[in-house]
Amino acid sequence: MRKVAVVGAGVSKFGVRKASYRDLIWEAGKACFDATPAVKPKDVEGLVVGSVLPERTAFQSHISSMAAEALGIRPSALSARTEHMCASGTVGIRYAYAFIAAGLADLVMVLGVEKLNQPSGDEAILNMGTGVDREWEAAFGLTAPPCFALAAQRHIAAYGTTEEQLAMVGVKNHTHASKNPTAHFQKGATLDQVLCSRMISTPLRLFMCSPITDGAAAVLVASEDRARDLTDRPVWIRGTGQALDGFQLTSLHEDYAHWPALERAGRAAYRMAGVTAGDVDVAEVHDCFAIAELIAYEELGFCRKGEAGPFVAHGRSDYGGEVVVNPRGGLIGCGHPLGATGVAQAAEVFAQLRGEAGARQVPDAAVGLTHNNSGMGEHVVMIYGREDR
Amino acid sequence: MPYFRATDPFPLESADHTKLHEFYARLAAGRLATTRCVGCRRLAWPPRGFCGECGSDRFDWTDLSGEGTIHAFTVQEAGLPAGFDGPRVFAIVKIDGLRVFSILVGAEPSKVAIGQPVRVSPLRVADDPNGNARWLPAFCPA
Ligand SMILES: [Zn+2]
Repeated sequence: MRKVAVVGAGVSKFGVRKASYRDLIWEAGKACFDATPAVKPKDVEGLVVGSVLPERTAFQSHISSMAAEALGIRPSALSARTEHMCASGTVGIRYAYAFIAAGLADLVMVLGVEKLNQPSGDEAILNMGTGVDREWEAAFGLTAPPCFALAAQRHIAAYGTTEEQLAMVGVKNHTHASKNPTAHFQKGATLDQVLCSRMISTPLRLFMCSPITDGAAAVLVASEDRARDLTDRPVWIRGTGQALDGFQLTSLHEDYAHWPALERAGRAAYRMAGVTAGDVDVAEVHDCFAIAELIAYEELGFCRKGEAGPFVAHGRSDYGGEVVVNPRGGLIGCGHPLGATGVAQAAEVFAQLRGEAGARQVPDAAVGLTHNNSGMGEHVVMIYGREDR
Repeated sequence: MPYFRATDPFPLESADHTKLHEFYARLAAGRLATTRCVGCRRLAWPPRGFCGECGSDRFDWTDLSGEGTIHAFTVQEAGLPAGFDGPRVFAIVKIDGLRVFSILVGAEPSKVAIGQPVRVSPLRVADDPNGNARWLPAFCPA
């Protein structure tokens, strides 16, 4: 297989945006092309668009062609949309990776976009119910918060994890987001604010949850030869893994604080990259809810099972600790425009490994990880490296 | 054309729409049933029309006991989808060795506990677009 690298990245402003679905595509595309002056839209051979709900929110399908035309891309090697609920963006990056590694394309854009706050606020959450099983789950009013609440309840019962420790994930990620001009939230948060925020689904409070957010992000992915032509600092895709335990809640591990698929996806990505958890300097993990970040520490091997609460409480996942987790602000601080999230995670790791992350820079970051999930039983992990070892 | 919401949150349960209609017919009569694969005799939850273990698409209907215990639960107080009220108790119920996802109705949320006995309590929801009654397999304290 050929080596593959990220050579450019750009992110739109995330938030409750006064912008259309297409406006967001334009913003992320422009940000990505502006940051990559060696590449013009006509140079891009392929486009993969990660997007989950445009049929509901923009009443639009046929997304990849629509986005290609909006950006002036004329795909000659690859044009596709990926829909894998909250992991759609990273699933798209894997497609681009595979096409390029196989020699079927040399330069591909992966764009993630979601316009969730549309057509009306009360429909936004209703639409999120399409991500769980309609007949056996969503018909009862199920969306993501109660699913992850089951994991949090179990983690508290099994390991003595505290509400304060869950809240510290919210504090950390809101604080990180305050240094990210594209984040949904920019005011930071104190422990009291998180613990006093309103209860969403026991024990998860508002500031422990990602909000309903509009946004888009784009990355340019290239073969080794093309990458070396385009930049002197490519960021290499060194490993990737994806694993699923199941779709419905009742198909997952009986212990909802135990996510075997994430452990397997991480193990596959580490093995392919030839690194271990201890080598990771910076990680963008899928903190759709605070409990998800804690369980990610454990399943990805940053700490042992059950020890994630003390791990965050002692600052071991923050600047100065073993691994800086979610320097961008995570989904809790940046918001979670489904298809855009995985691509925005990649854009952050790209900036971090090039030393271009400004106030958020993790000193001398050389190995980065992204983790995107679509429910508690479906996980995708990517490993990026500054060097192409 | 005025704006309208083309969303029906509930399954289409009649024989015109699903090969699992027997499940809903029995539920309307107060019985909780599921499928047993004819090929490998595996009991499934939820009911299924194809067996991923043995590849058979033939199944028999089996009534479950209708009584189980709470394996896990959460109370959602805010952020529910339009048309669904809170607080809402979402639960995983253990019943005849199966794990069933549902909601608990008729319960005081602060009194719900893991291990609590519950029984099936069919919940009538909005009729389908053809006027057929529809039911969901909810549970209540036993
Ligand atoms: Zn079978």
